[in-house]
Amino acid sequence: MRLLSALLLVTLPLVATSQQQTHHKPVTQSQILAPGYSALEFPAPKPGTYALPPLGEAADGALLDSSGAAVSLHRLYDDKTIVLSFIYTSCPDMNGCPLATFVLGQVQQRLAKDEQAMSNVRLVTVSFDPANDPPDVMAEYGRHFRRGAVDWRFLTATSEGRLAPILDDYDQFVIRDRGPDGETLTTMSHILRVYLIDSDKRIRNIYSPSYLHPDILYADIRTVMKNGGS
Amino acid sequence: MNKNANKRLLASWIGASLLLLCTAQSHADETCMSPYMAKIVGQEDYVYVWTLGLEGLGDEQDKVVTIDVRPGSDTYGQVVNALSVGGRNEAHHSGFTDDRRFLWASGLDTSKIFIFDVHSDPGKPTLVRTIDDFAEKSGGVVGPHTNYALPGRMMLTGLSNSADHGGRTALVEYTNAGDYVATHWMPTDDNLQGATKSGNFADGYGYDVRVLPRRNAMITSSFTGWNNYMMNLGTLMADAEAMQRFGNTVVVWDLHTRKPRRILDVPGAPLEIRCAWGARNNYCFTSTALTSKIWLIYEDDAGEWQAKAVADIGDASLIPLPVDISISADDQHLWVNTWNDGKTRLFDISDPHAPVQVMEEKIGAQINMVSQSWDGERVYFTSSLLTNWDKVEAPEGEDLQYFKAYAWNDGALEHSFTVDFLAEKLGTPHQMRFGAHSLYGQ
Repeated sequence: MRLLSALLLVTLPLVATSQQQTHHKPVTQSQILAPGYSALEFPAPKPGTYALPPLGEAADGALLDSSGAAVSLHRLYDDKTIVLSFIYTSCPDMNGCPLATFVLGQVQQRLAKDEQAMSNVRLVTVSFDPANDPPDVMAEYGRHFRRGAVDWRFLTATSEGRLAPILDDYDQFVIRDRGPDGETLTTMSHILRVYLIDSDKRIRNIYSPSYLHPDILYADIRTVMKNGGS
Repeated sequence: MNKNANKRLLASWIGASLLLLCTAQSHADETCMSPYMAKIVGQEDYVYVWTLGLEGLGDEQDKVVTIDVRPGSDTYGQVVNALSVGGRNEAHHSGFTDDRRFLWASGLDTSKIFIFDVHSDPGKPTLVRTIDDFAEKSGGVVGPHTNYALPGRMMLTGLSNSADHGGRTALVEYTNAGDYVATHWMPTDDNLQGATKSGNFADGYGYDVRVLPRRNAMITSSFTGWNNYMMNLGTLMADAEAMQRFGNTVVVWDLHTRKPRRILDVPGAPLEIRCAWGARNNYCFTSTALTSKIWLIYEDDAGEWQAKAVADIGDASLIPLPVDISISADDQHLWVNTWNDGKTRLFDISDPHAPVQVMEEKIGAQINMVSQSWDGERVYFTSSLLTNWDKVEAPEGEDLQYFKAYAWNDGALEHSFTVDFLAEKLGTPHQMRFGAHSLYGQ
């Protein structure tokens, strides 16, 4: 059911939603879908013509791959250019996790047509909801999005406790929602972030919904590859 | 609808109404925040006031003052916390990181930047890091002013430089953790950096920064350097040469590449920039301190950025000195404060090319900042501008250094409460930012 929701969200990206609710009264503005679902409204930057100064080291961490085997982030990073996305598979916000997976899917399509880039780039999607996203769920999620020979990994953690230091290291803020009586809900509130990491394991860009777009991300990948010597 | 579905709907509603952490289009000081940031769309719990220490008053130190604004709270309208930072720095502006867990507050004199944890206990911020090598790391930028959130990082504007303490300056980028990333110098006649100079000026001055991500645009304004903003106002006004050294430009940058694209003439020290929130409203407002006008910075039908004076603010010959402005969430109104006469004015900006003043009211002996809630129902004011520019005497009964809370009700300001910062021995209050427990699931 979670997968169905996710698929619906990413396959109906251009359908506008009703007015967003506020605490007291409706906001006068309709909810707008993130720019990443549509054509870029401005010319994409030309790869290699601008700088993406490093934003610090990309931390290591122990996770599970979609077969349940232990993996370390740094082993996965290897000498590749990495696009790292934190999501949870039942995320109901169209402009949240589904956006990230949609954009990575678009990047995947471009990589498939760019042999040099494809061999040097790895996409990594990590769930921050290990209780509800065990390896088999991540495997199923991945099967719906992964296409062709592009290297796209779907990871999770053994527990929230093991995941917490990784989220801290990446400054990825996540809180589990609670209901009126304080009960734990299935949804989580988080700030959506996607990270571009170069072959020296340095974070070179961070994207949030207002600026996560396949054209931008792909230009940045090419820029980092040129400058980073991948 | 079954119970689980109800819970999911509620969770979704809570996520949308309180946090807006994941949305692409965020809305309104709450109306002057970065579009990358979570917003408080309901009732704010606290107002954090970045406050200048005043010699001879209290502990004399700059501090973050936390005021409880929760209706019904036992401490409503009271100062619930004051965290001093160990000295005076010419405290000025502050801003949250994009995840709103940390508040950055900077000093224009010492160029120190203080990073406060506001999420662990929103009612009691703690100081977690002090950046004291801003000028050294940035390559000579002085006077960090705006602390503006971008995804996973902070963009700071400088006002000056360490070489001559004039107005030539830069944008300086940091990670959210407080590590230096890059310096982006403002374009000048000597080095336009590829930008188009559309008018007479390319002064290289800086002040505020805002972005319109959907247009890949970053907009900066221009004030004056350390030599002027640290000078006594009377002395400055009498110094004709010094009065020539104010910014006359707004620069439109390529947000993604951080390259300046176009330099616009906006003479008379354009200060705060407030961009519209509507999905197709490709414009921002600024006000000029010395010429007392509202300027529209807009993208024309051909996709070119332009600047146009669209309204007068009071009688310019009386030097009302426009300071802070605040745009409403629906892009229909703009609050404009004028420091010298202590007034706030409200403009109808439904036609951004022809704002019309619809209301004017004196708030105190002087006024600087204005912050409104997301829903526009609450408006807060503070009084301090710069240590050496603030008035030191007022007529009997007039407040000089205050935080004032109002309700905005049927077109009228209704006073809720005042905190007298001199009587409380806190200092002189400047920038306000809102806090809420709900942002952190508390």
